[in-house]
Amino acid sequence: MVGVAEHEVPPAWSVKRWLTTTNHKDIGILYIVTSLFFLVVAGLLALIFRIQLFAPNLNFLSANSFNQMVSIHGLMMILWFLSPFAFGLANYVVPLQIGARDLAFPRLNALSYWLYAFSGVALVVSFFQQSTIDFGWTLYAPINTAQFSPYVGVNTGGLALLLLVTSVTISTVNFLVTIIYLRAPGMKLRNMPMFSWSILITVAMMLFAFPPLLAAILMLVADRALNTIFFVAPEGGAILWDHLFWFFGHPEVYIVLFPAIGAICDVIPTFTRRPLYGRTWIIGAMIAAAVISFTVWGHHMFNTGINPDVRKAFTVTTIAVSLPFDVMVFAFIYTFAKGRIKLNTPFLITLEAIFLFIIGGVTGVFLASVALDYALRGTYWVVAHFHYVMAGGAAIGLISGLFYWFPKMTGRMFNEKLGRAFFIVSFAGFNLLYFSMFIVWEMPRRVVTYLPETGWGFWNTMATVGGFIFGLSFLILFWDLLRSALYGTPAGPNPWNGTTLEWAIPSPPPFQNYEGQPVVTEEGFKFVSMNGAPHVEHESHMSPWPFLIGLATLAFVIGFTTNFYFFLAASVFGLVTLLGLVRERFVVHDPKLGERWPFLNIEKVKLGFWTFLASEVVLFGTVISCYVYLRFNSSAWPAPGTIFNIEHGAVNTFILLSSSFTAVLALLASKVGNKPALIGGLAGTLALGAAFLVNKFMEWRELFDHGVTFSSSLPGTTFFFTTGLHGAHVTAGLIVLVFLIYRAFKGWYLKHNHETIEYFGLYWHFVDIVWVFLFPLFYMI
Amino acid sequence: MGAESDVRWRLVVSTTFEVFNDLFNLFWILGTAVTILVIGYILYNVIKYRDRGVMEDGAQVESPPKKQDKGLKLLLSTSLSAILLLVLIFGTFGAVDYLDNPPPGGIDLKVIGYQWGWKFVYPNGYIATGELRVPRDQVIRLWVTSEDVFHNFGILSYHIKTDAIPGQANLIWFTAREKGEYLIQCFELCGAGHAFMIAKLVVMDTEEFNAWYSSVGGRRG
Ligand code: HEM
Ligand SMILES: [Cu+2]
Ligand SMILES: [Cu+2]
Repeated sequence: MVGVAEHEVPPAWSVKRWLTTTNHKDIGILYIVTSLFFLVVAGLLALIFRIQLFAPNLNFLSANSFNQMVSIHGLMMILWFLSPFAFGLANYVVPLQIGARDLAFPRLNALSYWLYAFSGVALVVSFFQQSTIDFGWTLYAPINTAQFSPYVGVNTGGLALLLLVTSVTISTVNFLVTIIYLRAPGMKLRNMPMFSWSILITVAMMLFAFPPLLAAILMLVADRALNTIFFVAPEGGAILWDHLFWFFGHPEVYIVLFPAIGAICDVIPTFTRRPLYGRTWIIGAMIAAAVISFTVWGHHMFNTGINPDVRKAFTVTTIAVSLPFDVMVFAFIYTFAKGRIKLNTPFLITLEAIFLFIIGGVTGVFLASVALDYALRGTYWVVAHFHYVMAGGAAIGLISGLFYWFPKMTGRMFNEKLGRAFFIVSFAGFNLLYFSMFIVWEMPRRVVTYLPETGWGFWNTMATVGGFIFGLSFLILFWDLLRSALYGTPAGPNPWNGTTLEWAIPSPPPFQNYEGQPVVTEEGFKFVSMNGAPHVEHESHMSPWPFLIGLATLAFVIGFTTNFYFFLAASVFGLVTLLGLVRERFVVHDPKLGERWPFLNIEKVKLGFWTFLASEVVLFGTVISCYVYLRFNSSAWPAPGTIFNIEHGAVNTFILLSSSFTAVLALLASKVGNKPALIGGLAGTLALGAAFLVNKFMEWRELFDHGVTFSSSLPGTTFFFTTGLHGAHVTAGLIVLVFLIYRAFKGWYLKHNHETIEYFGLYWHFVDIVWVFLFPLFYMI
Repeated sequence: MGAESDVRWRLVVSTTFEVFNDLFNLFWILGTAVTILVIGYILYNVIKYRDRGVMEDGAQVESPPKKQDKGLKLLLSTSLSAILLLVLIFGTFGAVDYLDNPPPGGIDLKVIGYQWGWKFVYPNGYIATGELRVPRDQVIRLWVTSEDVFHNFGILSYHIKTDAIPGQANLIWFTAREKGEYLIQCFELCGAGHAFMIAKLVVMDTEEFNAWYSSVGGRRG
């Protein structure tokens, strides 16, 4: 047997196990528990501000506290609860469903988790630094800039978001590669379980949705820390934020929703005991919705004065995006018909999620209509609608998944009566809470209080009461799950007669998931013994570095916003931990066999690298689009050659292109095993890269001397930010190069070990190509 | 704006309100019907095909039928929905063409949002704060902007609003049908005073308005 037995890692009750584990099931549980913790925090915030809204003209909360609570409630629910909750389930379930022993990059998976966990800590800390984000989770411009919100806590919140986006990017790469590369033999995409399908589509969306958010937050941090003027610029700065945020924001809604739909799609066939009707149609519908979701962001901007025909187009795309969901709901109904339906808790909660989602979907069509949105925008209609979709469809749908896989995770059954109690209480509380909001839909959202003569008091009272009932249902849920995890009756491998692979192994699954290699055949699953398979080295399952890096980032954020020396110390600590991670020997065995369509012949790390570069392409694409947008919105722009010196640009273009050449030389040398040439190639690249930065530095100095600064004008702002971001990529490349040269001296990277040099080369060429775009854009036109 | 109780809340009061209301009713009727039908159909199926008792041990899952459903029923239900949605799209287009195209004549005013209040600039340069007086039965065009952060100018009973964004002016319009006082409020979180960023719309008879307007230094004509 290849695998490690459970006893080779610290036992489940030891703290060390949880701080160092890289096992996907452990990390899944960490994600689930942490996200539920943030659900409680954000939920309590909501209950507190619901008390304030209980009746008109209350003074329970100040406007300042109310605004912070509403903003953090929204941010935390979506980004620190819903998505991580879904990814907790995905961490646990997806490898089991596709027949993998772990994710493609287990250590990076742990890193994602710890970055996420510590970013959440940073967000909580931000509450205690004067004021945290208090302008809504949408962070509209220009109130998000230092001019209007100069608080330290806002910076911390922004950095917490950056950490979170980093974590998400790593997970995206990890899951994409896992699902593409680690499927067991016979696990064709065509018959991959629906939950795994939904995660595949979700991460594909994340790959395109998060880089624009990253770009937006980077610009915001630059505005706040370096006084650039992206979002205060009257030349469309405020609208620019809208575009960026909602280009991310609408797909984000589906990013939190799809995993829930995936879970529902696995629950339904199990409890109706019929195959899912129109399975291919559902997958197609999800893909269609995913694609269309990138074309609908304008429905959040109907009031911003964008072109009337464009508004109509956004109405059409938005209404069109409801059709795929129509397909899904009807596919569910046709599955129910002629089934033999067992009303166990997971199924009841799935029904609850579907009902709530239908109401959320129908009321969303109202908002899609530009004419109605003129009235509905910014009101409680919106609040009610998105809670029906996100708290109802997504959160409740995922909870149905949690119930469904709970026996698999813990090996014990939950209490069915308490499960039903959760169903009834949450359904009642939810509708009292949010349907009341439809009734008082004219009320503006995010107001700390309202006037008595509006007549909104009664339904606000009802909503608050509903909120507490809804909160109560979660007490029931937690009580049930906690108690059952400890004392529930043993579940056995397959309590629901599920047909997907995770039900063919014990509950909870052994540390390495399978005895032998799972193989999917026409008849079912087989586990092919792998005895005698020669593996020289044991796989690794623990690493202290992800946790330490996470800790370092938290220290970094707190240092950045409080104390310079602390900040320096944290940066050093951060570099040390990164180096620790890179130097650690971490062994992962890839299966020799498996389904890898459509990327049959790409090696795993390279696939990961390409995925990462794809997200970088979107990042730079976004930044360049912002530049183009602001330039078109400005009535005047300096002619080429008047402020940015073409010579500097041309020299730098030449330097960078030559460095690509030396990088290729290094790779060739590495392949043939020529150590001096390898070191020479790397050193040449390092020297050229450094020369690029020196030239850049001199150019910036000259510009500053001529009064072109970060804040002097939009040409300055866009130039410094874009080339600065590019320069940061060059700098990161140089740091890696130093490390590579050091190792090359010690004899690494020769002949068959040339991959690292190849990946570095990919990155470096990418950075060059970006420059090839920046040079004409900034210097020549 | 205190506790004046003569503020009107739900009346047929402006052209925009009427247009909104018709469209809203169309959506409301179709939406409710669809919701009830679909949820009802789900409940019908679940109850009809329900297998009493919860899952027992050892119950076998039926193996999937050999002939897979092609999913053609989905084509039917989705086409039906698509037709409904087309109706909604055309309804929307009709309404929005009206709302987006103010007729000529009438009065142009500038509305400036600031933290935290509203200023109204009249053609004669008179600036009112917190109170917008207009004559009834005339086209009123409002050019809405902001001098600091992002706000949103909304007249509750008229069901119109638009963003107040620094650096640009967005146009909305209405024709008031009834005299009275109406609530204006900010609909975009803009800081601590957001909930209190309230103003009053006062609709007056033409003569009344003209008298007031000349008293503040301008003449209408
Ligand atoms: C006990 C449970 C909950 C209560 C009482 C509650 C209530 C509220 C209320 C009253 C608002 C303020 C709306 C406004 O004034 O703008 C709000 C905002 C929000 N809620 Fe919840 N909510 C709850 C659970 C959830 C859940 C489970 C989610 C999502 C998973 C969620 C997501 C949001 C978001 C995104 C906002 C942002 C609103 C905005 O940006 O204005 N909430 N919630
Ligand atoms: Cu949207
Ligand atoms: Cu406001």
